[in-house]
Amino acid sequence: MAGREAVRKTVQQVRPILSIDRDEARKRVLNLYKAWYRQIPYIVMDYDIPMSVEQCREKLREEFMKHSNVSDIRVIDMLVIKGQMELKESVEIWKQKGHIMRYWKETVEPKPTDFLSKFLNNQN
Amino acid sequence: MASALVRLNSIPKHNLSAITPVIANQIRGNTTQPPKATPPPPQPGTPPAQTKTKFGGLADQDRIFTNLYGKHDWRLKGAQKRGDWYKTKEILLKGPEWIQNEVKTSGLRGRGGAGFPTGMKWSFMNKPSDGRPRYLVVNADEGEPGTCKDRDIMRHDPHKLIEGCLIAGRAMGACAAYIYIRGEFYNEASATQVAINEAYQAGLIGKNACGSGYDFDVYIQRGAGAYICGEETALIESIEGKQGKPRLKPPFPADVGVFGCPTTVNNVETIAVAPTICRRGGAWFASFGRTRNSGTKLFNISGHVNNPCTVEEEMSIPLKELIEKHAGGVRGGWDNLLGIIPGGSSTPVIPKKVCEEAIMDFDGLIAVQTSLGTAAIIVMDKSTDIIKAISRLIMFYKHESCGQCTPCREGIGWMNKIMHRFVTGNAEPAEIDMLWEISKQIEGHTICALADGAAWPVQGLIRHFRPEIEARMKKYAEMANK
Amino acid sequence: MFRVPLAKAISLGSPKRVANIAVRASASAASTPAKAPERIEVFVDDIPVQVLPGTTVLQAAAMVGVEIPRFCYHERLAVAGNCRMCLVEVEKSPKPVAACAMPVMKGWRIKTNSDLTKKAREGVMEFLLMNHPLDCPICDQGGECDLQDQAMAFGSDRSRFTDINFTGKRAVEDKDIGPLVKTIMTRCIHCTRCIRFASEIAGVDDLGTTGRGNDMQVGTYVEKLFLTELSGNVIDLCPVGALTNKPYSFVARPWEIRKIDSIDVMDAIGSNIIVSTRTGEVLRILPRENEEVNEEWLADKGRFACDGLKRQRLIAPMLRTPSGELQAVEWESTLIAVAKAVRKAPKGSVVAIAGSMADVEAMVATKDLLNRIGSEIVCTEQSLPTQGSGSDLRSNYLLNSSIQALEEADVVLLVGTNPRYEAPLLNTRLRKSYVHNELELALIGPKVDLSYKYQHLGDGAELINQISTGTHPFAQKLKNAKKPAIILGSEMLARPDGAGILATLQSFANKISKPEWNAFNVLHQNASQVGALDVGYRPGVETALKAQPKVVFLLGADAGIVTREKLPKDCFVVYIGHHGDAGATIADAVLPGAAYTEKQATYVNTEGRSQQTLCAVNPPGLAREDWKIIRALSEVVGEPLPYDTLDELRERVEDIAPHLVQHGKLETNSFATLAEQLAKDKKIDNSKITVRQQTLKDYFMTDPISRASPTMAKCIAAVKKQEAKAH
Repeated sequence: MAGREAVRKTVQQVRPILSIDRDEARKRVLNLYKAWYRQIPYIVMDYDIPMSVEQCREKLREEFMKHSNVSDIRVIDMLVIKGQMELKESVEIWKQKGHIMRYWKETVEPKPTDFLSKFLNNQN
Repeated sequence: MASALVRLNSIPKHNLSAITPVIANQIRGNTTQPPKATPPPPQPGTPPAQTKTKFGGLADQDRIFTNLYGKHDWRLKGAQKRGDWYKTKEILLKGPEWIQNEVKTSGLRGRGGAGFPTGMKWSFMNKPSDGRPRYLVVNADEGEPGTCKDRDIMRHDPHKLIEGCLIAGRAMGACAAYIYIRGEFYNEASATQVAINEAYQAGLIGKNACGSGYDFDVYIQRGAGAYICGEETALIESIEGKQGKPRLKPPFPADVGVFGCPTTVNNVETIAVAPTICRRGGAWFASFGRTRNSGTKLFNISGHVNNPCTVEEEMSIPLKELIEKHAGGVRGGWDNLLGIIPGGSSTPVIPKKVCEEAIMDFDGLIAVQTSLGTAAIIVMDKSTDIIKAISRLIMFYKHESCGQCTPCREGIGWMNKIMHRFVTGNAEPAEIDMLWEISKQIEGHTICALADGAAWPVQGLIRHFRPEIEARMKKYAEMANK
Repeated sequence: MFRVPLAKAISLGSPKRVANIAVRASASAASTPAKAPERIEVFVDDIPVQVLPGTTVLQAAAMVGVEIPRFCYHERLAVAGNCRMCLVEVEKSPKPVAACAMPVMKGWRIKTNSDLTKKAREGVMEFLLMNHPLDCPICDQGGECDLQDQAMAFGSDRSRFTDINFTGKRAVEDKDIGPLVKTIMTRCIHCTRCIRFASEIAGVDDLGTTGRGNDMQVGTYVEKLFLTELSGNVIDLCPVGALTNKPYSFVARPWEIRKIDSIDVMDAIGSNIIVSTRTGEVLRILPRENEEVNEEWLADKGRFACDGLKRQRLIAPMLRTPSGELQAVEWESTLIAVAKAVRKAPKGSVVAIAGSMADVEAMVATKDLLNRIGSEIVCTEQSLPTQGSGSDLRSNYLLNSSIQALEEADVVLLVGTNPRYEAPLLNTRLRKSYVHNELELALIGPKVDLSYKYQHLGDGAELINQISTGTHPFAQKLKNAKKPAIILGSEMLARPDGAGILATLQSFANKISKPEWNAFNVLHQNASQVGALDVGYRPGVETALKAQPKVVFLLGADAGIVTREKLPKDCFVVYIGHHGDAGATIADAVLPGAAYTEKQATYVNTEGRSQQTLCAVNPPGLAREDWKIIRALSEVVGEPLPYDTLDELRERVEDIAPHLVQHGKLETNSFATLAEQLAKDKKIDNSKITVRQQTLKDYFMTDPISRASPTMAKCIAAVKKQEAKAH
């Protein structure tokens, strides 16, 4: 009894950011995804990036799937807000080419962890 | 400069409490009257109360320095004829305590300038011996401008000094005396050395001095002509062969003096009068001068007088009487007087009005905001450019500062620069107050008293001759504006 | 009783000391029969404080945390009392008193903040600034200047020095006193600290004043070098910018630099230092206060040799080509080449030799690596007899009395050492004791100038036997002494008869030692030596050379003891170190390491105190910290060492010797008597005893860093020039 009461209280206390329930949040995510999806051709054109539209859509899906495990509505909302900001910046050409290309930054080599490689790289 | 630089603080600290009132009066100094001495019942060594009210006119039979002018033979024979070395053995055999008491009874105060009671100073050496020898040092580094009393003693009456060394040495249990003679005093050093040799040959000093069973040596050490070496601790350093720079006190010389041994430093005149005091009695000596200022004193009168001279007179003689009687009066009459420096160059100048009432003793001059110093009276008549005169004195002090302490090293140089401009009037009137403040900033902030001696003449000038300085500045400004 | 020090003081001719000593003599004479002195109560700004009689006003104020400004006063120097900055008001005293010199009296009420005090300070400050040039913007002292700071705190807020418009300020000619100390004498405020340091601590009466009053000048009387190994300390002492660091002049401002605490490794004293760096460059080295080691002084080599850290450095790994040249290559290829040589070598034919600046961590790692590949032979360049207990017992190779306690010794015998140059800061302790405690010293060895008087017994080794058998008169003095000490120079131990000397002196020292006082001391010259012996290195290279090694690791071994000729032809020499010196020239592979300012490493000083340096700058180029090189090599060899970080390595060090990680603490040891039983060979030949560093010019270049330092080269040139002058 008491446990449930506590849970109820906590749940009540959490104030929603945008969405009240999961469905609404899902709707927002899908809307954002669609908006990006539609804008990608223009982004590729405007920024003149060396990527095809398909590659970009692949990346878009990857970026969204990165957060597939997020279940907290508030976090989802926040991510959506950030995604919208990002989209706005991209569409309005507030960004530069490098900023867009940063989505493919995994080309940076990971830092070594074993002693010998660290030694050779002069890393502490 | 057996001079005002010999300070009161030459007192071992453990004795400080005993004489606090004396010191307090001396240092606080300028205005307070000394408290009445001699509280009943009188202890041994207390000077008898003075009953006389008029002083001056010392009779010939009461003179101590009977060959002051060198008219007689100064060597041993002549000296003995005048009564020196008479019954010295008996005096020695009466023991240190008796000598000290006699000197205390006489009320003799140091003749080097600070006027510290000599008997008390000697008694600081009474401590039980710790194996170190003790020394008497005689300060014959008479460098104070205007002062020329010690040189006459050494030239014309050296045996008085040597006998004094022996008696004073006996009083404090010293094994030897060092006479530190100013380098410029060639004749004085020669005469004193001759006298010492004579005394050795006659068995008066040396092993078994005067047959008293007491061994006592007298050495002469000649200085190299630095004024600061007349300061007692600088003098000690100089005897040790170091740069003549005053030492910090404490430890006082009575604890750690020459070569690290207990030492007393006395002026030549102080030492030279001791034998006569012992022979004629302390009470006799105390019968001259006012209470606490007793005795006879050598006065040097120089400057604008008709007959500059060194004369032995009774203490507490009025300044005017002294000048009129012995120096033939001020050049052009008393009304032509501008001002007098009454105690050697380091004492503040007093104007004519003050001179009329001034009494020549320690307390009498302190009452008029100056000091007896070495009793070297420098008379200046109205032809004197007083600003230039004081400026010259400051230049002397600037040149003679040893350079240890900041206020003295830098401050006197600064005063000199300002005074130099005051002579022409190339300054603002506000700088007079600044100079006053600087002199106050220097005074009492240094190891030795040289800086005080440099600050006082400036203070005396500003105190009494401010209108003169201002007038000159005005004149200069007018000239510049034309 | 006062005569002995008195005579010394007079003969040494330094002012003021006579007075001080005589005071002490009389004071002790007075106090001997009396009981413990009673404390007296004084009031500082109305705070009561109980002090011993004889405490000065300044000290009493310090006890309640009131700092009195001062220029001439310094705790370790005689009181001069001439700057007058410390004037304070004492109630009922008409004049302000000089706090630094005036002993307090019962019931004194000291006012450090009264109007009179403030006015006195302001006055003195005004006078000081009157002739002090206002060239702070171009003055090297700017930012760390006592005069600046105190003018801010205690000075007036405006100038009234109108004479600047008429006659201006004083100007003084600069003096040339050598390549280390730059003088701008116009800035001098005549505090005489430098003079007192020279005559009291350094024991050279080179500095003094000439002229008097406003014309007084501080200088060397005639133009000459300030001939002492401690000259740099006058820079720290100077409260203004009159004496500044010449190599550091116009280099940096104090607020730009980063300060890192570290340890000096130029000698075995282990002086505590502060390394000042900016933009990855060591700019200067200052001493750090440590009462137990270096007080607050630093010898010139430790202070000025730091420019050697930028020259002759090994910045890339190198391999010797078949044509015989060293060629810079990548780390991988070097490590592989070395590993190949190590793997090829038969068991037991790999040896390591640690040089004078090797740190404990690197030595432990090397030893671990060698042990893993089946070799036991690790040794140090500096030798020590191994017969008897040898290096197994710490008391055999330590300065057992400890540096600080040597001050209390009353009779000291120096054997085959010149502490003035081998350990200048130990020598200042001996001198201090000589001046203040009537320490009696004797020396067996070449007659050298130790800056104090000592009895020169001769330079024959047979004297050691005479001492130990008691036939020599000085032996009696040692026996009668309350705290006798024998200081044996490390060079003696390298002699063929070192074992005999060690054993003889040790057994004699045991006879004269007291409970809680071990009279036997070894004075090392190498910062690494004690640490190496503590972790089990064998002293001396003989065993290593005898083993016919196939691979030799030189851990900064640059003393020239190991040469190519002494090694087998096919031997592969690996040099790990930071300077291209004797070691690198004979190496087949050079692995660039870090100097002491570039690593966090442990050093153990001659008294057995473990201390650590901190990393002030990064090693230059491809250079790496030494222990990491060993660790990396171990992996390539195929025997990886079980530590990846310094902390893990230090745990391993702790397993070997726990005291090594107790930084700053002094580990005592008490096996002296046991050591004697183990030592048997007491034969000494009758050859002459000599030491390497006899005069000042021998002092400046003794290790790879100082050999690379242009400043040190200038010093030697200056000393030689000075010697050539016929004065």
